[in-house]
Amino acid sequence: MRVHNKPLFIWHDPTTLVGKYDNMLKKDLKLANNYLIKQLPKATAFINSKFEVIHASNQWIKEFNFETRNVFGKSVFSLFKDGEKNEEWKLILDKCLKGQPSDLFNIEFKDPNGNTQWFEWSNIPWYDSEENIVGVIIQAENITSRVINEIQIEKLEALLLEKSEITKIGTWDYNIKTNKLNWCDITKTIHEVPLDFIPNVDTAINFYKDGISRNTISMAFHNAMINNKPWSEKSQIISANGIEKWVIATGQPVFKNNELIGLIGTFQDISDQVEGDNKIKENEHLLKTLIDNLPLNVYIKDRESRKILANKSECEYMGVSGPSELLGKNDYDFFTKEVAAENIKDDVSVIKSLRPILNKETVSIKKDGNATTFLISKIPLTNDKGEAYGIVGISTDITHLKQKEEELRHLINVTSLQNKKLINFAHIVSHNLRSHTANFSMLLDFLSHEKEETEKENILQMLRNASDNLLETLDNLNEVVAISTNINIEKTPVKLNNKIEDVKQNLSSYIVQNKATIVNEIPINAEIKVIPAYIDSILMNFITNGVKYKNPDKDPIVKISYKKENNYSVVSISDNGLGIDLKKYGSKLFGMYKTFHNHKDSRGIGLYITKNQIEAMNGKVTVTSKVGEGTKFNIFFNDKD
Amino acid sequence: MTKINSICIIDDDPITVFGIQKMLGLVTEYEQLYKFVNGKAAIDGIIDMLNNNTPLPQVIFLDINMPIMDGWQFLEEFIKLKIKETVRINIVTSSIDDFDRNNWNHYKEQTHHLITFNNKPIKKEEMKQITKVA
Repeated sequence: MRVHNKPLFIWHDPTTLVGKYDNMLKKDLKLANNYLIKQLPKATAFINSKFEVIHASNQWIKEFNFETRNVFGKSVFSLFKDGEKNEEWKLILDKCLKGQPSDLFNIEFKDPNGNTQWFEWSNIPWYDSEENIVGVIIQAENITSRVINEIQIEKLEALLLEKSEITKIGTWDYNIKTNKLNWCDITKTIHEVPLDFIPNVDTAINFYKDGISRNTISMAFHNAMINNKPWSEKSQIISANGIEKWVIATGQPVFKNNELIGLIGTFQDISDQVEGDNKIKENEHLLKTLIDNLPLNVYIKDRESRKILANKSECEYMGVSGPSELLGKNDYDFFTKEVAAENIKDDVSVIKSLRPILNKETVSIKKDGNATTFLISKIPLTNDKGEAYGIVGISTDITHLKQKEEELRHLINVTSLQNKKLINFAHIVSHNLRSHTANFSMLLDFLSHEKEETEKENILQMLRNASDNLLETLDNLNEVVAISTNINIEKTPVKLNNKIEDVKQNLSSYIVQNKATIVNEIPINAEIKVIPAYIDSILMNFITNGVKYKNPDKDPIVKISYKKENNYSVVSISDNGLGIDLKKYGSKLFGMYKTFHNHKDSRGIGLYITKNQIEAMNGKVTVTSKVGEGTKFNIFFNDKD
Repeated sequence: MTKINSICIIDDDPITVFGIQKMLGLVTEYEQLYKFVNGKAAIDGIIDMLNNNTPLPQVIFLDINMPIMDGWQFLEEFIKLKIKETVRINIVTSSIDDFDRNNWNHYKEQTHHLITFNNKPIKKEEMKQITKVA
């Protein structure tokens, strides 16, 4: 602020010159003085001790719009009667009249357009040539633009402060010349130092955590000073209270006349943000760990059914080492056409309907033919507009379960079959025994009434036959029971070819007698797992069957061949015999005491026992036949159990 | 004692055939006796009789469990034949299976022939009752 201690003008009042100059001269001088004052570049007015305007510069008159009125001889207070500060001004003017120049005095003034103008008044005593105070010289400077600027700067500063308080972005500046580092209050608050703390470059850098953070900032500062490079680094500080914080510090060189004079920068606490980021990362990690280690196949597909996420189980199932090999691919890349089409149809339906598919059982067949049974769920992924942008798929491999189910079903079938057989057996037993006892009872009744000796003898013979038949029946039943109770006998591998040769050997006389040919087509090394006692009986039965029911016009040929089928070794025994009308007798073929040929050797028990033996080894037997051409039995020996 | 023109026994068990034949002699008189060892032989024989205009048996004794063609299969074929007369068919069996009894009811409904169901052994009195022209 300028202070005017010395009078600016030494004014020679024209009246004091009386006697020194002639009147003419005085008049000229007065006019000259007046003229001089009028031309003063600043708005200036001279007032006497009664505050009346004596002189005024044109600029003064113009500045305050006095062009239309006469100001001379008028009190300044009447001229500025709108001025609110007239009282204050009067005190200042009074002081001036007593020889005390005033401080600057600001007043507002509304121009004719109504705009506020700001003026700075300087009031100084007006001395005559005898150093007497005759009045006050008033100078006015229009400072409106300066005031407006100041107001703007004040506003900007307030704004900046508020902004930095809200965003917690602090500032700092460094002056190279003075080697002084300046921190704003926010920067100090982040460092947790008192507001009167005075930092320097070393203390500032030492706030950074030892290691990467401190090295990074030291390098950045150095780089800015030497290479004038700005920086923005995320790093960690340890506050004065020992708390670790994440901050972003920026720095930028400041030049004046192409010379580096300092650095300025910002300083922001981003701990919350980093913590948030870390939390998100942690959650992501948790989710990923969870998804990856679920014993389920989890994947996400986009609207075009392309995989955009796959967990470990899914990758393993797909036979790839990582999700990257799956991403962007669709099911046609991995599955058979039919399976892929079905899958994609499901995907589209979920995306369109927004209804999830839950626990649907599907069989997926990969390109290599590998089939897996899955329980699949597909859930739509929706955005905030409720539109599906993809699906989450979860598949549970239930192949194992399915196999168990299959085994169980098989077991149930076997059990119900056994049960049926048991009932059947019970009927057979009751029927056969009943038929024999009925015969006994009838024959005994005849015998008791018979008087003729030869007829008596005849009846007795029949009784003997009946008794033999009963015994044979009991033997057969015994055999069947034995098979059914020997289910748990251990199976051993047997060389099939050798077995057939043995059977041929045992039947050699029978074969020769019937002019039969037995063709053994079994590979030398073929082995089947069987109960040895049963295989003899089975082969014997089928081979003799083939010979026994020979076509009277042909010599019998029995052919035995072998092949592998799934879990079975299949032995086929075909003959060129009579054949059986399977339509009529198929259901009874393996029944007990059923014979289909009126043949003296037909006992009707062979196939029944054979079938029981095969089933006791978890096998099965099928038959194809054509009357007059021959019969083919396929015996399935179970390799597995 | 009414005289019967011809009687037929269809059974694979010679003892039963002997028994029926013996009892027939006690309860009736007849001109002709046909014996068949299974259903197939019987149906073939009867078709021959039809073709040769030989009078058909008026009473048939029929076993159920027989090889090649059993009693039921015989019945199935028999009721298909165009026979005006009512033939009496006496099923003689040792079976006490409900299945057989149900089958009897089934065939009984399907034909104009008279079908009876008899359990072995058959007593003389019973034999008398069932050995009549239908």
